[in-house]
Amino acid sequence: MRKIDFISSSTPLFLVMVLFILAIASWLFAGTALNRAMIELLVRVVLVVSIYIFVGNSGIVSFGHVGFMAIGAYAMAWQTMLPLLKKNAMPGLPEFLLTGNLPFPIALLFSAMLAGLVGLLLGTVILRLPSIAASICTFAFLMIVHSVYSNWGSVTGGTSSIVGIPTKVNLWVAFSGAAICVIMAGLYQLTRYGLALKCTREEEIAARAAGIDIFRQRLIAFVLSATLMGFGGALYAAFLGAIYIDAFYLSQTTMLLAMLVVGGMSSLTGAVGGVVVISLLTYVLRGLERGVQLGPQTIALPSGTQEVVLGVVMIVALVSSRSGIFGTRELGEIANRFRARGAIWARFQPSND
Amino acid sequence: MTRLPMFSLLSIALAAQPALADDSSITIGFAIAKSGWMQPYDYASRTAEMAIEDLNNKGGLLGKQLRIVSSDTKTDPAEGVRAATDVIDQGADLVVVSCDYDQGAPAALAAVSAGKLAFSLCAGDPKMGIEGVGRQAFTTSHAAQTQGAVMADWGFAKKGFRNAYVLLDDSIEFTTSACQGFEYRWGQLEATSIVGRDSFKNSDASISSQITRLKSLNPAPDAIMLCTYPPGGASAVRQLRAAGIETPVLMTMGMDGSYWLPAVPNLSNAFLPAIGLASGPDPDKKINDLIERYKKAYGEPPATAFVFYGYALVELWARAVERAQTTETEAVFAELEKMRDEDTAIGPMSFSDQLHIQNKGRYLIIGIEKGKSEPLGYWNSPEIPKDVIFKQ
Repeated sequence: MRKIDFISSSTPLFLVMVLFILAIASWLFAGTALNRAMIELLVRVVLVVSIYIFVGNSGIVSFGHVGFMAIGAYAMAWQTMLPLLKKNAMPGLPEFLLTGNLPFPIALLFSAMLAGLVGLLLGTVILRLPSIAASICTFAFLMIVHSVYSNWGSVTGGTSSIVGIPTKVNLWVAFSGAAICVIMAGLYQLTRYGLALKCTREEEIAARAAGIDIFRQRLIAFVLSATLMGFGGALYAAFLGAIYIDAFYLSQTTMLLAMLVVGGMSSLTGAVGGVVVISLLTYVLRGLERGVQLGPQTIALPSGTQEVVLGVVMIVALVSSRSGIFGTRELGEIANRFRARGAIWARFQPSND
Repeated sequence: MTRLPMFSLLSIALAAQPALADDSSITIGFAIAKSGWMQPYDYASRTAEMAIEDLNNKGGLLGKQLRIVSSDTKTDPAEGVRAATDVIDQGADLVVVSCDYDQGAPAALAAVSAGKLAFSLCAGDPKMGIEGVGRQAFTTSHAAQTQGAVMADWGFAKKGFRNAYVLLDDSIEFTTSACQGFEYRWGQLEATSIVGRDSFKNSDASISSQITRLKSLNPAPDAIMLCTYPPGGASAVRQLRAAGIETPVLMTMGMDGSYWLPAVPNLSNAFLPAIGLASGPDPDKKINDLIERYKKAYGEPPATAFVFYGYALVELWARAVERAQTTETEAVFAELEKMRDEDTAIGPMSFSDQLHIQNKGRYLIIGIEKGKSEPLGYWNSPEIPKDVIFKQ
């Protein structure tokens, strides 16, 4: 028993360490471009881990989480942009937002809370449904957010870009955000709520028979996950400095879900690993698209190769290991295997295959 | 499970890319769309490259050769930020961004916050300047209002129009601004009136109810100001003519280019302003030479007159650098703000500490007669005050 405790609680710490090593490496050696890529990677860790908290633990695929990201991102813009810019871009904001200006940490908190609140309202309505229906409802939610935000011009700037959000997210802010998110996800998994939700993922009827209130467990995870997603959206906005509603739609959803699925939908290590693998791959491919100096010649891949290769890699990754690169394994277990080398490894592994 | 350490090694290896900045050259970075729907609009970068080539042939700028670096925004504003950072990393002294506010602003913002000058190829929105992005952001384009205003002026003086009807496609900011400019100028001209106003959306399949209202107007208008763009614009013109309305139609530069003309066979009595006649031959020798050169280099004439902005962009910036004797951002933008009626390939251009977009300009009026575009001579748009441009 003690061994399992060590495994589960050490995973988030190991993951934070890996991210820390990446961040330090980028801070010490990288130029601005790679540094930006690293910040983006860390922000994506926040987003994908947030999705994982609900999707990974409950087994219900949510297509709507990017909606919470949009809510968080726009909330960030409402709170931190200069009043002068706000008056130009979003004149319909209520007076206290239009004239006021909140400091970055408080704005982050409020953005996350707003997304969490919307998550609570939405979750109460849709999480009683069977999982596939709930899945479709989350998609409907994404469509609602998209069309409200793209048409409510006076408050969201409509389909125009909102430019001029103070860019407060540097490498360490992004790292702290990712660390908080990974640790919260890790802790949540350890609580009885997390374990109960995992039970419902594996076998709904048995879970109910064991006295688990499925709706309640799902709702807890959904709200936590929506809150962190809003937090991630706010970080994203404060990283880019510019947002527009089409950035929070299908391609973003697909990208984030693909990272989760390729890494392994049912493990925290999978969520973080998926982001790291795909982000680094994208970065390398983008570099190749720009061209590599080989002697006197520059060799460049044609524009668009990045998307194609990325697609192929995802297919290959999933064909070779069906539940993602990490499957249901956690980093803590892997580390433990090194510790107890030679010991027979036998532990029940639930999987989504 | 040796994957993760390998990735950290990989990232360190990638970090060891050489920095490319060196002092013997000046670098112009293009953070523009080279794929996606924005790409053809950003062909203005092609004439910018021609201008850079010309400068290099004359011995460069401040005795240094100009070097071009570029990065693809993939028609994605978020990628735009990355593209801008990318070209700055490669040593760009000037960052040229996409031909549209929404697409170009994030990249411009990234450039400005890195302390560089951002110059949009042809964003027609005044927000691509002090108010939207910052003092270091400029756009070569003319404010959309000048297009409506120049048609008002020209129609009044050359054609004797007095009673106008305004038909506005209010689906984008550009057309709304153009019609606003028309009404502003029309109101200043003597004995003119607007006999009716109506609006539609570019995606509307039919404008028959607008046409019915137009037909019942008394007095009938002697000109229709139609602010729109293809494909909805072509459909609107076709419906007007099919309904037997032969009233002259005044349009905006959004309708520039001959590609939509086959949709309205034998269209006559339609007029629009443009920077030049893209399909050639243009009455202005400088623009005509540019068209010939473009044809030779790319095997086709420019699709629209927007491409000419690129050449003017480099001309203006290079002149500011020459006057400042440095590429330092502060000095260059101070010189840019001093520019009044600066002669460029596409007519005189100005900036001020209030406006980083053109609030007046020289347009070639293009007449469409029997389905063919023909140049009717240059006409200057009146100056539009700042409060009209910002709709305050």
